[in-house]
Amino acid sequence: MLRWLHGAWAVFEKDIKLELRSRYAINTMLLFVLSALFLTAFAVGQETLTPRIESALLWIVIVFAAALGLGRSFVSEQERGTVLLLLLHTQGGMVYAGKLLFNFLFVLGLNLLAMATFVLLVGVQVVAPGLLLTTLVLGALGLAGATTLLAAIIARTATRGPLLPVLVFPMLIPLLLAVVTATRHALPDGQGWSAVGDELLTLVGFAGVVISASIILFDYVWYD
Amino acid sequence: MPTLTERLTKGGSPKVNVERYRTIRTIVLVAVTAVAAGGFLLEIPRIQILEHTARNLYFHVPMWFTLMAAVLVSAYHSLRFLQTGDLRRDVRAREAALVGVVFGILGLLTGMVWARFTWYQGTNIWWNFDPKQSMAAVQLLIYGAYLVLRTAFDEPQKRGRIAAVYNLFALVTVPFLLYILPRQAPSLHPGADGNPAFSDFTAPSMRWVLYPAFASFIGLFWVIYTQRVRAALLKLRLYGDTD
Repeated sequence: MLRWLHGAWAVFEKDIKLELRSRYAINTMLLFVLSALFLTAFAVGQETLTPRIESALLWIVIVFAAALGLGRSFVSEQERGTVLLLLLHTQGGMVYAGKLLFNFLFVLGLNLLAMATFVLLVGVQVVAPGLLLTTLVLGALGLAGATTLLAAIIARTATRGPLLPVLVFPMLIPLLLAVVTATRHALPDGQGWSAVGDELLTLVGFAGVVISASIILFDYVWYD
Repeated sequence: MPTLTERLTKGGSPKVNVERYRTIRTIVLVAVTAVAAGGFLLEIPRIQILEHTARNLYFHVPMWFTLMAAVLVSAYHSLRFLQTGDLRRDVRAREAALVGVVFGILGLLTGMVWARFTWYQGTNIWWNFDPKQSMAAVQLLIYGAYLVLRTAFDEPQKRGRIAAVYNLFALVTVPFLLYILPRQAPSLHPGADGNPAFSDFTAPSMRWVLYPAFASFIGLFWVIYTQRVRAALLKLRLYGDTD
């Protein structure tokens, strides 16, 4: 067990180090989120938005950014030719856990950045910051959980093209509905914590189910 | 290099009792025809607003049951493929998904047209976020993605394995929709939110068509599915490839 944790941590550490060395994914996502939110803000103009539309716009941007950014996580191993090294030194489960942890932190950072930018640009008032933060964390966990396995699938395809959004969006509909409702209740006219118990429970359940299923299924994708 | 006949006969072809298969196929085709004729021609109770559109019950609801049956068949064969690596399992999973999609699209269209002229009469609404409608649409999107994903591989074993993983992985998220969708929009659908389910208001005379309709639509799925599987298995034995 300790060996397993050690292996997973090593994979995670490797990803962090590589990312900090090039900062390619971080910078790309930073600019993607900023430009997408600017586009949204310009398209909306001076119109006042209802909380429902505000949270919908925010999460659409987040989901697209995550689908674009996380698609790289296994493709980059293929391109650098490091898959064989990982296969030699670690087990499938360690690779999955390490990548999941990295992707979770990546999406969480993305969520926080998007939220902060959105609040500044569109002038959203946040009534229940604690609830919003919880939603962002749980949403990041579900997003990373659903996308990590599919990113491994993408790396195995011949084209490695823009297939990830097609694969992941139908699966994300329960998650999206829950986070949008929870976010709406954290904004003005929302009812705060009292109204979103079921949504938060759905988010926890969703993350639990996709991560458990990924752990079972990952070996079939990872090994030939 | 084995000859054509050798390639077509080698490798355990599924043991099919052809006589019995043809008998069941004939029964199914006669039953589907009888259900269609009965569905359109037999007397039904006339209820305001519904009027003759109630006949949609005979076709729309069985199509959903067929989609659900197809989903189960497809998932079962995907699971078995991961266990055994037998490409014939992969063929079955794909064909069940493909035929299921056809029934799903038909079910969605019959539901949409019906709702347009009953629930939303006088409005111009075609698509409404009714939970059952949304769930069906999500399931169809998943199968669309599944079929697109299959085209991204050249090697049959790898294609089968990864398609099976996606098929099962996407399926585990569908039950959440059951829970989360009804909270988004109120449903007018029979069987939801205290609306009576069809067993409560269906006149006894209609059951004589409805119950055979369930059996015969699932039977029709089975006939089309087995025919397609036979053709695909021959292809598999000839070219050694599934798609």
